[in-house]
Amino acid sequence: MPKLTVEPEGVCIDLHDDETILEGLYRHGYAYRIGCRRGGCAICKVDVLRGEVDYNRPVAEKVLTDDERATGTCLSCRAVATSDVTITLREDNLRRVNPLMARFAVAQPG
Amino acid sequence: MAVMRMGYMHVKVTDLAEAKDHYANTVGLYQTLEQDGKVYFKGWDEWDHHSVVIEEGGVGYVKCGFKCERPEDVAEIETKATAFGYPVERMVAGENPEVGDGVRVTLPSGHKIEFYSQMTAWGLEVGTHNPDAFPRHMVGIGAPRLDHALLWVNDVPGIEKFFQEVVGMWATERVKTSLDDDAQTLATWLTIGESNHDIALLEAPENKIHHFAFEMRGWDDILKAADIFAMDDTPIDIGPTRHGITRGTTIYFFDPAGNRNETFAGGYRCFRDRPTVTWTADQLGKAIFYHSRELNERFLTVAT
Repeated sequence: MPKLTVEPEGVCIDLHDDETILEGLYRHGYAYRIGCRRGGCAICKVDVLRGEVDYNRPVAEKVLTDDERATGTCLSCRAVATSDVTITLREDNLRRVNPLMARFAVAQPG
Repeated sequence: MAVMRMGYMHVKVTDLAEAKDHYANTVGLYQTLEQDGKVYFKGWDEWDHHSVVIEEGGVGYVKCGFKCERPEDVAEIETKATAFGYPVERMVAGENPEVGDGVRVTLPSGHKIEFYSQMTAWGLEVGTHNPDAFPRHMVGIGAPRLDHALLWVNDVPGIEKFFQEVVGMWATERVKTSLDDDAQTLATWLTIGESNHDIALLEAPENKIHHFAFEMRGWDDILKAADIFAMDDTPIDIGPTRHGITRGTTIYFFDPAGNRNETFAGGYRCFRDRPTVTWTADQLGKAIFYHSRELNERFLTVAT
C-alpha cells in the first residue's frame, strides 16, 4: 500500500492499490483544484518530488506529453502510485473539506 | 433559411468502450454505426443517421457539421466562405459515413466546420405514424437531440463575423468588456433559428471545445439527469442550475475522456429582430451561473 505525501502541507495518506492520487486524497477528505476527473483537461497536474507513478488507463498525449511524464509532471486524476510518492500542488493548496475523514490522515510522512 | 441546425459533433475519446457506455447508457443515445474506430449515435428525437461521433485516440474536438436545407445552400456557403477568406475544401459523399457532399471550412482557430445537406434518414425512435410522446424504454437520461456547442477560439469578433455573414446566424447574447461603444466582445451566442444558440464562441488562449450540449425537455428532465449521473458516477462540473445567458437550465458534466457535455433546457424563442442582450464581463458569474452568481474554477480553465 503506497504512501502519498503532499508538501508543503505535510499531509500523508495511504493509497489503495490501483487508486489514483486524486481518489486517495478525496477519500481522505481533501480537495484541490480539479476539472473533468477523467484525464482530459490537465487542470489537476501536480509535480512529483519523489517516487514513481504510472497510468493504468490511456492518457492523451496532448494532455500529458512524454516530456512531462519524464520530468515529474503527474496527471493526478489518472496517476497511480507505484512506490511511496511525494507530490506538491501547482499554484494551489490542499483544502480539508471533510475534517471527519481528514483527521485520520497522518500529519507526518510515514 | 440555408443552414438549419448543428447536425453533428465529432470528438476524440481516450477509451472507446468507456465512451460508448457513457453515450449509450448514460446519455441514452442510440448507436447507429461502428466503423474504423468510430462510433455513431443519434438521439431519440432525431431523424438523421447520427448527431454524435466518437473516435478513439486522444481527447477533444475533431469537427462539427451544420445541416443545410438544400444542396444550393451548401454551394452558397462555399462561395461566401471562399470570399470571406477562410480555407474551404469540398468533401464528397461517404467521406463521413451516411453524409452527402459538402464543404469543410477551417476557422482561424483551427476548428473544422462542415456544411452538408444530405444525411441518410434513420427515423425518429417514436416513428411518425401516431407517435407516442417519448420512447417507452429510454435508457439513461434519454437525451432527445444534440443542441449546440461552445468553442474556445482566439478571435471571437472575427469568427462571429464569419458565422453571421457566411452562415447567416445572428447573436442573441454577448459578453463584452463594458457597455462602451468600443468595448471588446469576449463571447457570443449565435443562432440560426428560434433556439437561443446553435454555436457559442468564447475568447480563450487555446482553441478547444468547451462543451457540446443535448436539448432536454425541461427542468424535470434536467433534475432527473443529475440523479442518473449520480447513479452512474458521471462527474458533474456544475448544476442543475440556470444560466443567466439564455435563461436555459443546465448541467455541465464530463464524458469518460474528459470532454464536457451539457444538458440544456428552456430559454426563450428567438426571432431575427430580437435585440441582442449584452452582459458585461464583471457580471460573468451571474451570466453563466445565475443562482450562485460566481464562476466555478473550471468554467474558464477546463476545455478539451
